Amino acid sequence: MPVHTPLPVSLLTTLLLSLPFVGFLALAMASRRVSAWLAILTTSFGFVVAFVLALNLPDQPLTIQTAWADLSGTLFSISFRLDSIAALMLILVHFVALLVQIYSVAYLHDEPRLRRYFAYLQLFVGAMLGIVLAGNLLVMYAFWELVGLASYLLIGFYAERPSASKAAKKAFLMNRVGDAGFLIGIFLTYYNFRTLDFSVLDTAVVGGALPTALGLCLFMGCMGKSAQFPLLTWLPDAMEGPTPVSALLHAATMVAAGIFLLARIHPLLSPDALVVIALIGTITTVWGGYSALFQTDIKKVLAFSTVSQLGLMVAAMGTNNVSGAMFHLLTHAFFKAGLFLSAGAVIHAVHTQDMRHMGGLRQTLPITFWGYTFCAAALAGVPFLSGFLSKEAILSGAFDWASHQPGGLASLIPIALLLSSGLTMLYMARQWRLIFFGSYRNKHIPLDQTHEPNWLMRGPVVLLAILSLGFWFSINPFSVHGSWFFRLIPTPAEGHFGWLAPASVALVAVGGWAGFRMNAPRTDTIAVRLSLEYGFLDSLFQYLVINPTQKLANLLSRTDRRLVDGTVNNLGITLVVLAYIARAIDRLVIDGVVNGAAWIASFFGQMTRSVQNGRVQSYIMVTVVGLVLVLWWLLY
Amino acid sequence: MILSLLIFLPLLGALVIALLPESQVIQFRWIAFVITLAEVMLSVVAYREFNQAIDDYQLVEQVNWITLPLGNLGIVSIDYLLGVDGISLPLIILSAVVMLIGVVSSWTMTHRLRAYYALYLLLTGTVMGCFAALDFFLFFLFFEFMLLPMYFLIGLWGGPRREYASIKFFLYTLFGSLLILLVMIGLSLSVMDPVSTAITAGFIPDPSAATDELIRNIQSALQSGQLNSAQLVHTFTMRYLADSNNYLPNALLNPASQLMVWGLSARQLAFWALFIGFAIKLPIVPVHTWLPDAHVEAPTPVSVVLAGVLLKIGGYGFLRIVWDFFPDGAAHYAQILAGLGVLSIVYGGLNALAQADLKKMIAYSSVSHMGFVLLGVASLTAEGVNGAIYQMVSHGVLSAMLFLLAGVIYDRTHDRRIDSYRGLMKPMPRYTTLTAIAFFASLGLPGFSGFVGELFTLMGSFQSRWLAGWLTVLATTGILLAAAYFLWTLQRMFFGPYWSRHEATTVLTDLTLREKLLLIPLGGMALVLGLFPNLIFNLTSATVGQWLLKFSVQ
Repeated sequence: MPVHTPLPVSLLTTLLLSLPFVGFLALAMASRRVSAWLAILTTSFGFVVAFVLALNLPDQPLTIQTAWADLSGTLFSISFRLDSIAALMLILVHFVALLVQIYSVAYLHDEPRLRRYFAYLQLFVGAMLGIVLAGNLLVMYAFWELVGLASYLLIGFYAERPSASKAAKKAFLMNRVGDAGFLIGIFLTYYNFRTLDFSVLDTAVVGGALPTALGLCLFMGCMGKSAQFPLLTWLPDAMEGPTPVSALLHAATMVAAGIFLLARIHPLLSPDALVVIALIGTITTVWGGYSALFQTDIKKVLAFSTVSQLGLMVAAMGTNNVSGAMFHLLTHAFFKAGLFLSAGAVIHAVHTQDMRHMGGLRQTLPITFWGYTFCAAALAGVPFLSGFLSKEAILSGAFDWASHQPGGLASLIPIALLLSSGLTMLYMARQWRLIFFGSYRNKHIPLDQTHEPNWLMRGPVVLLAILSLGFWFSINPFSVHGSWFFRLIPTPAEGHFGWLAPASVALVAVGGWAGFRMNAPRTDTIAVRLSLEYGFLDSLFQYLVINPTQKLANLLSRTDRRLVDGTVNNLGITLVVLAYIARAIDRLVIDGVVNGAAWIASFFGQMTRSVQNGRVQSYIMVTVVGLVLVLWWLLY
Repeated sequence: MILSLLIFLPLLGALVIALLPESQVIQFRWIAFVITLAEVMLSVVAYREFNQAIDDYQLVEQVNWITLPLGNLGIVSIDYLLGVDGISLPLIILSAVVMLIGVVSSWTMTHRLRAYYALYLLLTGTVMGCFAALDFFLFFLFFEFMLLPMYFLIGLWGGPRREYASIKFFLYTLFGSLLILLVMIGLSLSVMDPVSTAITAGFIPDPSAATDELIRNIQSALQSGQLNSAQLVHTFTMRYLADSNNYLPNALLNPASQLMVWGLSARQLAFWALFIGFAIKLPIVPVHTWLPDAHVEAPTPVSVVLAGVLLKIGGYGFLRIVWDFFPDGAAHYAQILAGLGVLSIVYGGLNALAQADLKKMIAYSSVSHMGFVLLGVASLTAEGVNGAIYQMVSHGVLSAMLFLLAGVIYDRTHDRRIDSYRGLMKPMPRYTTLTAIAFFASLGLPGFSGFVGELFTLMGSFQSRWLAGWLTVLATTGILLAAAYFLWTLQRMFFGPYWSRHEATTVLTDLTLREKLLLIPLGGMALVLGLFPNLIFNLTSATVGQWLLKFSVQ
């Protein structure tokens, strides 16, 4: 009879979480040569552990808890929680991180600060695992900020480039705006429920006016990290980081943290809050999609498509479709990481990010071309690929939600989402053509010198392209019903819309045809500038937030010097004048007697003089004045 | 005995240094070093002796010091009374550590060393006295005496405008102490010492016979006017000043007193006078303008001590004296007080954003961070008050680190202007790393201590039933501003291509061993405290719980 030995799940979870931090410390001391392999080894090990954990999930969510702060009987603890949704994320994060690090070995082989790079990546993985495993909002917030730090360090990795350090600062600050709201949401949660534990909050009753504010404040965290309107402009700038970083942080995993947060706090979101969330998600989708339309930088197109897809996931969350959003998070992570890594291969070959200097690369980069094609098709929602399935799940959920809302306005949301998926095909087809078709337009590197990267870079792309096939997620290529995913994360019963699949296919076809035929636009039209400057959001921020803040800061600084401090100085000068008058009277009235007040005068009048003079006397003087005041006060 | 040692060892050291001939330059340093190291050890001993579960004063030393018979007016008694609790012990340990750091960072000092170290040790002793004294008069004595060395340390070893700055510092604080002095005298006249009064009135032969019941009896006898005034022993003992049952029935500061001045009762006036006295020290906007000047002019070690230790006396005074003696005022004005805290947070943050001088930027960030202390204390919640004490310790460590970092660049070029440098990460990578750590720790990155202090003071103010929620929302912008001014500075000074205004004259060298030895332990402390905040909260928890009881009955 086989002996059943239960896996030490909590021990493994702890190990899993501490691995990247150990890796981070080890990398701080390792030599440059071994750094990459040390990092890859750490993440591979973590990947195996995550897999083992996922296969041995306990029936009930596992909780690990330890006391953290005891404030006169009010207790706060560090707690971690492992359930199916966390296990899914664990595998995803490790898998993409592993591929990206393998890819980075080749992509950054000339980088002198390689050790630092891999250390930052480990820090990111650790922080991300913390978010995934967080058992209460406080732990979530702590790792949330840590992810922000990792993102800051990696965006600003080329710190000698002013634009990079500027972009890093912008990303951190914009995230902090969201995080400030998140923090207040945490306070509101604690105020209402006296707990921050997800396991308790899951069953907490929600209703009334306040929890709407609570949900929206918590949602602000998501708005920052997942680049929702209007806090989205940091994400295109974040492309200043190395391309593998863009793939891992700013496409596949970190920006998905906001979606994961929404999944965790979903029970706390009131119906009103959900409507706002759906609305913001929809605006973001359209905004991002339109902004991607006319970009010329290969990475910027992808960045805005990420914004757009994140908006789609948020809208799914808002329409009560947690499983649909999480499903899209998963499929999106694979094909978007694949797209970024392919883009990296292209940049590696032509040494530019400007698509106007590319073209016709399908001949010299065939593997990259096919990898890119599959991933882009998945992103655009072409049938038989994963993106089609997950968009389908989101759209049908959204139409179902709209049919239950009072008033017809609600159906505008699913319609906008549907149209924006046509938009996706439009800009992806345009990008596809600009990179791989037409004539080669780069003057610096001849076409026959562009070549595929080595297998360390090709392998991850191919693997991710294969994982973009719909087959992996559902046997039926046109429906997600019966997919393994929805057994893992159950979905509420939803209506079935038979016309939806044909409609999306038709939209994709139209979008693809139009996008492929899109001509180079004139850049001076308002429609194009609106796209290129993403709705002038950055200028708006500059004029409405940054400039007024700086003006206020300068104004207050002047006020502080002139008014606040000036008053103090004027008080001092008045005293001096009084002292001189007193001395004059003194000399006139009582000849030869030196009044101590003059010593104050010497302080203020002759500040350039050595301190040696008059110090003790004035001390005594002021004390005497003080005592006189005391006596006066005591005797009225 | 430990507390007396903590106070008198440095005072003795100051005396020894003052008596040594001026030629013994090396000895001055080492004497100061050994003594401050001994202070750290003594504070560790105090930490180990301290029972965290007890919410009362511990390590108490009491000697009757001055007894002044005033005939019919009773007797005035002043005690040499020392002791610690969860409020003062963390600050004593912090002071010992920061003082040691200060001595090591003074190693580069070159002139008038005898006076410097003598004054420095004098400052150390008086600071310890401030935190350990439980008699208001004794406290005030140390409080006043602290001014003198500080005044000279800024005025003699400071920058170009040192004399202006030191006089400003001196007069500001002196003004505050006058207010404190007034209230102190008023309090002493209004309050009796129940135990000593029982002795003079003949109820018991000696203090050991005093029971709780007897004290209650004496107090009710006082309230019903059965004690004649000649028998009353007026006291400065903080414990008695904080107990409203000890107030003479017709006294000026008795809660029942009907006297009104400018629409305020005498107690309310006294509350504000005391509050201003300590708010100057913390400092709270708008009585903060001495701080930027003092910091900019003070030499690095003095800045470290000023920010790391002296500011904390303000927050300590709030908890130990202002709030404890006048709980009625604190509760009544909670909203205004918290508002002042929020004002400091936002105003300090915005001012920091506008500064061109690195040290001034850090000074204003101190104003902003000290605002959290007032906000937490004013919240009157367990989270807020524990968080405020924690924030003081955390800021002590972090501001010491920040001022040392500012000193590093000043030592090399005598120029602290932010726009004089770009891309410092190239010539000074380790300096950049440690600055980045200090900045992120100060802007409240979880894992470091700054986060814990801000988190719990904000949480406390939000949970507080005395305060409106929007105050916390407004205060939260402070953490945004902190991120803005720190990261902006980081970007401007340390990143980008390297350039320096002094490129031609000075080759910038990275951190020396001594600088690393100062900065790395401070960074480590911020990390350890941030990961294990219970290191502080275990000390404060019981005391704060007891302290808050006063406000739960209001």
